[in-house]
Amino acid sequence: MIRLGQYLPGDTVVHRLDPRVKILSVVALSILIFGATPAEILLISVFLLAVIRVARMKPAQALGALRPVAVFMAMIFLVHLFFTEGRTILSLAPLPVRITQEGLVRGVYVTWQFAGLVLGAAVLTMTTPPSDLVGGIERLLRPLSRVGIPSQDLAVMIAMALRFMPMLLEEYDRLRMAQMARGADFTTGNLALRTRAVAALAVPLLLSAFRRADELAVAMEARGYRRGPRTTLRELLFSRCDLGAFAVMASFFLVNFALRMAIR
Amino acid sequence: MNPEQTSLRGMVYASLFGALTAVGAYIIIPLPPVPITLQTLFLGLAGTLLGGRLGALSQVVYLLLGIIGLPVFAGGKAGLGVLFGPTGGYLIGFIAAAFIIGKLSALKARPGFAWLCLSLVAGTAVVYALGVLQLSLVARLTPVKALVVGVLPFLPGDGIKIVLTALIALKLRDRLGGKLL
Repeated sequence: MIRLGQYLPGDTVVHRLDPRVKILSVVALSILIFGATPAEILLISVFLLAVIRVARMKPAQALGALRPVAVFMAMIFLVHLFFTEGRTILSLAPLPVRITQEGLVRGVYVTWQFAGLVLGAAVLTMTTPPSDLVGGIERLLRPLSRVGIPSQDLAVMIAMALRFMPMLLEEYDRLRMAQMARGADFTTGNLALRTRAVAALAVPLLLSAFRRADELAVAMEARGYRRGPRTTLRELLFSRCDLGAFAVMASFFLVNFALRMAIR
Repeated sequence: MNPEQTSLRGMVYASLFGALTAVGAYIIIPLPPVPITLQTLFLGLAGTLLGGRLGALSQVVYLLLGIIGLPVFAGGKAGLGVLFGPTGGYLIGFIAAAFIIGKLSALKARPGFAWLCLSLVAGTAVVYALGVLQLSLVARLTPVKALVVGVLPFLPGDGIKIVLTALIALKLRDRLGGKLL
C-alpha cells in the first residue's frame, strides 16, 4: 500500500512544492476521479502521467505502488465483469456466470479509478517527507481546532495510521498464508466453520497490531513526545512556485468540471 | 502512569483502529450470500475496545485517510465525492456508530456477550439509518426501495459479524485492560 517511509528524496518541482498544495491536489484529484466522464478519464490519466514524469519517478516505482494492491484490483475488476446486468458478449455456458458489455466497461472504469487514486496518493507520499506531510495536514486541519477538534493530534494520528496500513496488510498476508498452510479454508464448509476461520485470522492480526501499537507508544514517550502545539524545524512557506502549481491544479479542476457539466 | 502517557497510548490505538478499518476494506471473505469485508468488524471492535470517544476518533482518522485520497472506502474508492455521493451516509454513520457502541457497552462495568451484541446491533442500526437516509436523498429512491437495495442484502453478513465482533472483543479486552483512557 502507500508507505510514508517510502519517501524518495529528489530535487524536482514536485518535491519542492508546499505539502499543502500537494495534499489539496490529491483531494481535488480524488473528487475528479469519482464519476469521471470518458473525456475526463483521458485528461486525468495524461495529467497523472505528466506529474509522475515531472517528479522523475521511474515507471518501476510507480508500478511498485500498485503491486501490493494488485490482487484487490483484479478482484474488483472481476466482480464487476461477472456481476453486472446487461448485454451478454460472452457466456461461459456450463458456469452460471457470463460477461456483459456493461460489465466489461464498468470493470475497466472501476479499476482505472482505483489505480488513479493509488498513483495520486503514491506521488504525494513518495515526494513529500513524512514530517512535511504531517505539517501540511495539520495546517489544513487547523480550522477544526476552533470547534474543539485537536488538529495537531489528528495530523499525528493520520501519519501513524499511514504507517500502520502497509504493516497490517503485510501481516494479514502472512497470517493468511500461515493459516492456509495449516489447512484453513474460507471457501468451503458450513457457516460456523468459515466464521471460525475468519476469527482465526482476525485475532492474531489484532494481537500483533496491539503489540506494535504499544511499542510505538513507548517509543514516542521515550522520545519525549507531548501532545499539544508543536513547532517544526522547517516552516511551511508558500512560494511563487506553489502559487503556480495551485493555479494549474485549480484550472485543471475547473476544466474537468466544465467538461462534465457540458456533457450533462 | 500519568494521564498524558495514557492519552498518548489512546491516540496510538485510535489511529491503529483507523488503519484497521481502512485495511478491512481490502479483506474480502466469501460468505454467502454477499461477500463480507472486515470493515464493520473493526468498526465494532473500535467501539467496544476503545470506548466511545476514542472509537469515534478512530473513525474520523479513517474518513480523513479517504478524504486525502487514499482508496480506503468500500470497493477501493476515495475522496470527498464519495462522502457526498449515494453511499456517503454509511461512512458518516461509522463515526456515530463507533461512539454509540462505545458508550452503550461502557454502561456496564464488564459487559457480557449479550450486552455487547446489543450495543453492536444499535451501532449497526445507526450506520444503516444514516446510510439509507443519504441513499434515498441522493439517489432519489423511496425509503422502502433504499431499504431493499441498501440494507437487506447485507443483513445476514452483519449478523455473523456482530457475533464474531462480540466474541473477539471478549477475547481481547483483557489484553487492553482499561489502560487507554
